[in-house]
Amino acid sequence: MKLKDGKPGTTYEVREICTDDSEMEKFLFSLGCYSGEPVTVISNKKNGCIVCIRDGRYSLDKQLSEAVIICNQ
Amino acid sequence: MRIAFAGNPNSGKTTMYNVFTGQNEKTGNWAGVTVGKREAPFRAEFCDSEALTATDLPGAYSMSPFTPEEGITSQHVREENPDVIINVVDSTNLSRSLFFTTQLLELGIPVVVALNKIDMAEKEGIAIDYRLLSQKLGCPVIATVSTDSSNRGLYDTVKAACECFGKGQTAPFVQDDINLLDKNEVDAADRKRYSFVNGIVAETEKREKESSETSRSDKIDAVLTNRALGLVIFALVMWAVFAVSQTYVGPFIADYLVGWIETFQEWVAEKLASSPAVLTSLLADGIVGGVGAVIGFLPLVMVMFFLIALLEDCGYMARVSVIMDPIFKRVGLSGKSIIPVIIGTGCGVPAIMACRTIRDERERRATAMLATFIPCGAKIPVIALFAGAFFAGAGWVSTLMYFTGIVLILLGGLLVNAVTGHRFRKSFFIMELPEYKVPSLKKAFFSMLERAKAYIVKAATIILVCNCVVQLMQGYTWQFKPVSDNMADSSILASIASPFAVLFIPLGFGAWQFAAAAITGFIAKENVVGTLAVVFAITNFIDTEELVLMGGANEVALAMGLTSVSALAYLMFNLFTPPCFAAIGAMNSEMQSKGWLWSAIGLQLCTGYTVAFLVYQIGTLITEGHPGTGFAGGLAAVIVMIAAAVLIAKKIRKNFNMKYELHEKAGEMV
Repeated sequence: MKLKDGKPGTTYEVREICTDDSEMEKFLFSLGCYSGEPVTVISNKKNGCIVCIRDGRYSLDKQLSEAVIICNQ
Repeated sequence: MRIAFAGNPNSGKTTMYNVFTGQNEKTGNWAGVTVGKREAPFRAEFCDSEALTATDLPGAYSMSPFTPEEGITSQHVREENPDVIINVVDSTNLSRSLFFTTQLLELGIPVVVALNKIDMAEKEGIAIDYRLLSQKLGCPVIATVSTDSSNRGLYDTVKAACECFGKGQTAPFVQDDINLLDKNEVDAADRKRYSFVNGIVAETEKREKESSETSRSDKIDAVLTNRALGLVIFALVMWAVFAVSQTYVGPFIADYLVGWIETFQEWVAEKLASSPAVLTSLLADGIVGGVGAVIGFLPLVMVMFFLIALLEDCGYMARVSVIMDPIFKRVGLSGKSIIPVIIGTGCGVPAIMACRTIRDERERRATAMLATFIPCGAKIPVIALFAGAFFAGAGWVSTLMYFTGIVLILLGGLLVNAVTGHRFRKSFFIMELPEYKVPSLKKAFFSMLERAKAYIVKAATIILVCNCVVQLMQGYTWQFKPVSDNMADSSILASIASPFAVLFIPLGFGAWQFAAAAITGFIAKENVVGTLAVVFAITNFIDTEELVLMGGANEVALAMGLTSVSALAYLMFNLFTPPCFAAIGAMNSEMQSKGWLWSAIGLQLCTGYTVAFLVYQIGTLITEGHPGTGFAGGLAAVIVMIAAAVLIAKKIRKNFNMKYELHEKAGEMV
C-alpha cells in the first residue's frame, strides 16, 4: 500500500519508492527512507502526512506520500 | 588554518560558528536557514596563538546535492580544501547524521565530530558512548552545546581540530570502486554505507524512548498543521506581529524618540541661526529632518524584527510551510515559498536568497520574483506614515497591506504559472519538522540589535546622502540660484520629477513631490519617507494624533494635499512596485536569467501601477460618485500593460511548447 494509506502510530517497512525522479529518490535515501527500512506514520491527512524516519520527523505532501510504497513489517 | 563547519541542516552549525567567531549570523529552528558560505576568524579566546578561520556552510544531508544551497557545501569541501572539517552532528538524530559523516571522512581531510545539542539528547534520555563512537569512526568525537554560556565542549573541539591539522585519518568506511554512473551500483554502495552506520548506532546509542513514539511536538503539530485551523492560527500570528509592532508597542516607543529628534533639530537650527541659509537648510532640514523622519520609525521596525526572530527560533516556520503548501501549490509555487515571504517582512535581500532552498528552478525563480510583494522593514515607515497621516493611525492599514501583499503573491504565482506552464515534472514537497523549543529572548534581542544597527547605518549613509541631494535639488534652480518661496516648481528636482508625475495623474498623485519620492524609493524604500519629509518640510510623522487634537486638522495630510483614497493609492504604489536596487541585485543573482529578471521588474512595475490605479479610481467612484482624474489615460495604460503581458506570454508559451514537444519526443525515444 501507499504511505498515504498508512495508519497513524503504526510502523511499516518501505517497499519501494515509485518515482521517475531519481534525485528525489536519492534525497529520500539520504534521509534513510529506502526499501527495507522502517517508517512510522505519525499522522495522516488528506493533503499529506507526517512520518518518522530514523529519528527525524518529516512532512510529506500528497504526491510524495503516494510515491512511497509500504508494507506491514 | 581554515576550519569548515559541515553537517545536516538544522544541526546548529551557524549557532556554533557564531559562538566561535563572535558574528551574529542568522540562525533559526528549521532546515535551510543558511544558504550561503561565510568566513570569519575565530575569537582569540578559542585559539591561543594560531590564526584560525571558520567557514560556515549550508546544511546538507549527503554529498550529492539536492537543492542549490547543498551544492555550495559539497563543492566547498571537495574543491576548496579546508584544513579541518568540524562535522556538526545533531545528537538527537545520530542515525541519519552519520551517513554524511562517513562521506566526509572519506575525503582525506581531518574531521572532528561535534555531537551538538547534547543537552537536548540527554533530556530525551539518549545516551551516546562517544568514546566508542570516536574509536569506530577513527576521529575525535566531542559532545557540545552551543546555545548557552557554558560553551560545553567547544574549547575541546577547537583543540582537537588543531591537533588533527596535517595528520591523516583512516576512513572507517570506504566506498568500493564502483561505476558512479550506474544507478544500481551506487544504490548498493549507499545501502552498504547505511548498514555500516546502523551498526555503529546500535553499539553506541541507547534510547530510553523510541523516537517514533508520540511526542509533545507531535501533539502541537496536530493543531498547528491542521488544514483549516492551522491557517487561521497562522493568519492570527502574523496579524499579531504586525499589530504589536506597528499599532501598539512600536508607535508607543516611537513617540518618545520622535520628540527627542525634534528637540535636536530645533537645537541644531538655533545653533545655526547666524550661519548661511544654505547650511541651515541642508543640516537642519535635509540631514536632521530627513534622516530623523526615517530614524523615528526605528522602534516599529525593531519590535517587528524581535517578534520575527522569536518566530524563527521556535520551530514554527517549518509548520507554516506545511500548511501553506497546498495553497501555494495551486498557484505553482511551493510550500517552501512561504519562508522567503516571512523573511521578506524583514528585508527582501535575504528573502530572495532564501529561495535557494526551493528545489524546482521554476518555483525558485517565481518565488524570487514575487517574494518582495510582501512589505519589507524599510517599507514600514512608509506604511506607518500614511496610516498615521491619513487614517488616524488605524491598525487595519498595515494589516491590509500585508494581506494585499500575500494576495498579489498568489495572483502573481498564477500569472507566472499561466505564462510558463507547469508540466515537466511533479513538484514534490518534503520538509523536516524540527522539535519545538522555547525561543530565546536573548537571541531575539541580539538579532533585533543587529538589524537596528543595519537600519541606522543605512539611514546615516545612503539615506543621508539622498536627502542632501534632494534638499539641494529642490532648493536650487538649474541656474544654481536659490528657489524663491513661491516658485517651488522651478527647482531642479521639480523639473526632473514633473514628467514622471504626469504618469501618476490617473493614480491620484500627480504632484512632482510624490514622483520624486517614489523615484528615490528605488534606492532605498525609507527614502520615500525621507524625501517626503524634505520636500514638504515635515518631520514629525508619528505624533499626528496630537496635531489633530491641537489644530483640528491634520497638518501632514493638509500639507500633502492628498485625499484618503489617493493616499492609499500612493502607499500601495510604493509597496508593490519593484523593490530597492539591492533586492533587484539579489534577484539577478538568484534567478540567473536576464529574461526572468526583466519579467520580474516589468511585472512589479505593472502591478504597482495597476493596483494604485484601481484603488484610486474605484475609491474615488465610491467616495465621490465619479471616477478620479485621468481615468481614460490610466485605463489605456493598464490595457497596454495587459496586452504586453499577453504577447510575452504567447511568445514564451510558443518556445515552451516547442521544448515540451522535444521533451516528449526524447521520452518516446527512451
